[in-house]
Amino acid sequence: MDKNYLNQVDDIPIKCTQDIVISRQKGRELARKSGFSVSEQTRFATAISEITRNVLTYATEGDCYLFEKTLDGYHMVIAQIVDHGPGIDNPKLAMNDGYSTGNGLGLGLPGAKRLVHELNINSMPGKTLVEIIIKGRVYR
Amino acid sequence: MKKIPILYLNSILIASIQTELTDEEVLSFQSELLKKNNKLMAKGVIIDVSTLDVIDSYMAKVLGDLTTMVKLQGSAFLLCGVKPAVSSTLVDMGMMLTKIDTFLSLEKAFNFLTSNDRKFQ
Ligand SMILES: Nc1ncnc2c1ncn2[C@@H]1O[C@H](COP(=O)(O)OP(=O)(O)O)[C@@H](O)[C@H]1O
Ligand SMILES: [Mg+2]
Repeated sequence: MDKNYLNQVDDIPIKCTQDIVISRQKGRELARKSGFSVSEQTRFATAISEITRNVLTYATEGDCYLFEKTLDGYHMVIAQIVDHGPGIDNPKLAMNDGYSTGNGLGLGLPGAKRLVHELNINSMPGKTLVEIIIKGRVYR
Repeated sequence: MKKIPILYLNSILIASIQTELTDEEVLSFQSELLKKNNKLMAKGVIIDVSTLDVIDSYMAKVLGDLTTMVKLQGSAFLLCGVKPAVSSTLVDMGMMLTKIDTFLSLEKAFNFLTSNDRKFQ
C-alpha cells in the first residue's frame, strides 16, 4: 500500500456564517474518524472556525478544503482555507496576539496556531491560503 | 433562523444553547435575552453550554459582552457546563473568560442563585 498519499476529503464553500459551522463540524468529524482525541478534535474545529471567519470578515468568500495524509509514520489531518481577497498585509504582525485591523480580539491567527501542530500562511493580494495541520503517530 | 428557548423560573432566566449557532443567531439570541431581562428584571441569567463543542473567539467575545450588559441591567450572569476540551482550548487561544462567573452544572448555578446565604451581589 502507498504510505504517502494525500487524499482530499471535502471542499466546503465559505459564503455565509453557516458555512463556518459546517466547516468546523466536518473538520471535527474527520479528526474524530482519524482517531484524534476529543481535545484534539475541539482544538482543530476551533482553529477552523477562526480561519474561516476571517475569510468572511476580510475577503468575501472562499473555500475550506479538508485533506488526510500519511507520511513518515504520521497521520495528518489538514485544512486549507483559501480566499481571493486583499491578502494579509503583514502576516508576521497578524500573528501577534491582539493585532486586529477589524474589531476582533486579534486572537484568531495566533490562537489557532497554538491549537494545532502547524499553521502556515501564504498570502498576497488576490490569494490567501492558511493551512492548519494536526498529526499523530501511526502505530501499525 | 434557530431560536434558543429562554425560560423563567424562580426569578431566574435560563437558556441552554444546544445547537451550533451562526454569528447572526448568536446576536439575535443576545438581544432577545437582554430584552427579556429588561422586562422581567431577573435576579440572574444562566447560560448553559454543556452541549456546545466549540467556543471560538467570536462566541467568547459575545459571552463576555453579555456578562457586562446583563450586569449593567443589575442581574447576575452565570455560565455553566463548559466542556473540559472547550475550556482548555479557550485558555490556549488566550481567551480569558475570567470576568464571567462559571459553574460546573446548571444545578450548581441555579442553587447558587437561589440559596439565601450566597455571598454575592
Ligand atoms: N483572510 C484574510 N485576508 C486578509 N486579511 C486577513 C485575513 N485573515 C486575517 N487577516 C488580517 O490579520 C489580522 C489578524 O487576524 P486574527 O488574528 O484572526 O484577528 P481578528 O480577526 O480578531 O482581527 C486581521 O485583523 C486582518 O487584518
Ligand atoms: Mg479573526
